[in-house]
Amino acid sequence: MIALLRYQAALLIGSHRWLPPVILYAAFLAVGIQTGGPMLDSYGFAAAGTLPMAVWLARICVTSEPPAARNCAAAAAGPGRVHLASLLTAALGALLLALGGTAFVALTSDPHFSDHRVAVPVLPATAAGLLTALACVLLGIAIGALCNWPVLRSPGSAIPAGLLAALLLSVLGASPANAAVTGMVSGSAHGTVSMPWLPLAGTVPIAVAAVAAACVLSSRRN
Amino acid sequence: MKLDGVGRRYGVRGPWVLRDVQLEVPARALVRIEGTNGSGKSTLLRLFAGIDRPTAGRITGRPRAAYVPERFPAALPFTAAGYLTHLGRIHGLRGPEAARRAGAWLERFGAAGHAGTPLARLSKGTSQKVAVAQALLAEPGLLVLDEAWTGLDQGAREVLGSAVAERVADGGTVVFVDHDPRRLAGTADARYRVTGGRLVLEERGRAEDAAVVAGPRVIIEVQGAPGSAPRSGDGPDSPPLPGRPTIAPGPDGTIRLTVPAAHSDALLRALLMARPPWHIRSVTAAPPSATDPDEPRMDPGSLAHCDARDARNAHDAYAAPRPQAARAPHGVPQARDESGRNVHHDPGAEARP
Repeated sequence: MIALLRYQAALLIGSHRWLPPVILYAAFLAVGIQTGGPMLDSYGFAAAGTLPMAVWLARICVTSEPPAARNCAAAAAGPGRVHLASLLTAALGALLLALGGTAFVALTSDPHFSDHRVAVPVLPATAAGLLTALACVLLGIAIGALCNWPVLRSPGSAIPAGLLAALLLSVLGASPANAAVTGMVSGSAHGTVSMPWLPLAGTVPIAVAAVAAACVLSSRRN
Repeated sequence: MKLDGVGRRYGVRGPWVLRDVQLEVPARALVRIEGTNGSGKSTLLRLFAGIDRPTAGRITGRPRAAYVPERFPAALPFTAAGYLTHLGRIHGLRGPEAARRAGAWLERFGAAGHAGTPLARLSKGTSQKVAVAQALLAEPGLLVLDEAWTGLDQGAREVLGSAVAERVADGGTVVFVDHDPRRLAGTADARYRVTGGRLVLEERGRAEDAAVVAGPRVIIEVQGAPGSAPRSGDGPDSPPLPGRPTIAPGPDGTIRLTVPAAHSDALLRALLMARPPWHIRSVTAAPPSATDPDEPRMDPGSLAHCDARDARNAHDAYAAPRPQAARAPHGVPQARDESGRNVHHDPGAEARP
């Protein structure tokens, strides 16, 4: 599995297809986060941006190999493991992005609640920001796993489906990612830091199930 | 490896591409699959390689597989050597060993000059060499070739042919499709045809196998470097030498390997590519008397040279049933092979100070 992860990571890095999502995320942070804004709101905003980026990275990693090369690796290691490695690589890439976003917020935001008077406990707030980002990344990877090969095979359906799912799950109140981000923003307004344990507990099984389904399907569809 | 009632169709209501495939493939076998375009050959090969899962039935006992696609349009951000090293690691090799073998195979295919070239800039033929090297460098138990010869130059085709013979001689299974009926003609153990979604046996048995065994033989006298270990290694799963030579002690601490002339190239290559390489003292044609397959070729007393572990391995090998035992009349009997391997360990020990 480590060899497969190294291979997929080298594919991702060498192909330079990671550049557009990273640049877009950097622009999103630069435009959306005001220097000196309240810390918890900024964490929530930065985390919300990682969801579509995770969807995008999942698509990049899943489609990074031409079918002939994928078959060679699949014969050696099994198609399910090859697919799992590509989704894990996307998840690791999105987590790096989330770490970068969290660090940016930690350095530039104002460590106070939204009234700008009461100080925010920085460490718990950063932990809550990271967990929120993790929930968004996991949900994004789940969308990416279900909206690409082998579940949706043609780009004509995969890309719109991925975009729509990313939008809906960012906006709809029932989505765990939305719940985590809302929790950060309302915590800032009410002067509390709440850890997003419940949304995270919702996203983990969703992500595991989606990735497992995609990996099982990878040897059945073609 | 066994395919039991295997069927495959694409989509829930799609037509069956393959149905009710019953097939048992032993280790140490070369299997040819024939069929017209679109008959389902490639689907069958993908099932063999484990890239696809059968819709019906099951496949059991698949060894570690390697697959060579017909075309390898690798738009990958690697150099040829870099890609091969990655694939070697995925096959379970350590990084330096994978890199060494990548270089060795590129050299054998005459593509060593392209080791540092990005895959995207390789010609079609050189890409195909990379695709073939990718499968061969890890010495897989099952090698699946989907028209792998297409696009290779004449020299590389011959190298691939002998590499296939080496894989089979080392105890591997090779399944291949090729539209040239002369490809590896006469060496396949079985020929099947895919027609109407069914797999039909065309021909079984290696027609000239007996002829090769009874034909001219070659004696190769070799000497191991001090402290050298034979390529076949110490483990009980180590493969025997190509052509299954008869091994006997020669003069001056050398050993004599007697092998059918048809396998001598593969054996010489295996000896020279071993680390450290064996020193070839002489290659001579064997007198006709050495061709009698029933003549006892091994002095049983020489087993006494072996250490206890080797003797145990030999014992296990006697006890364990092996698929190729069924082919004993064609090949060299199992016991001889195992004891031969043990003798093969000797000169290394003798050569040590």
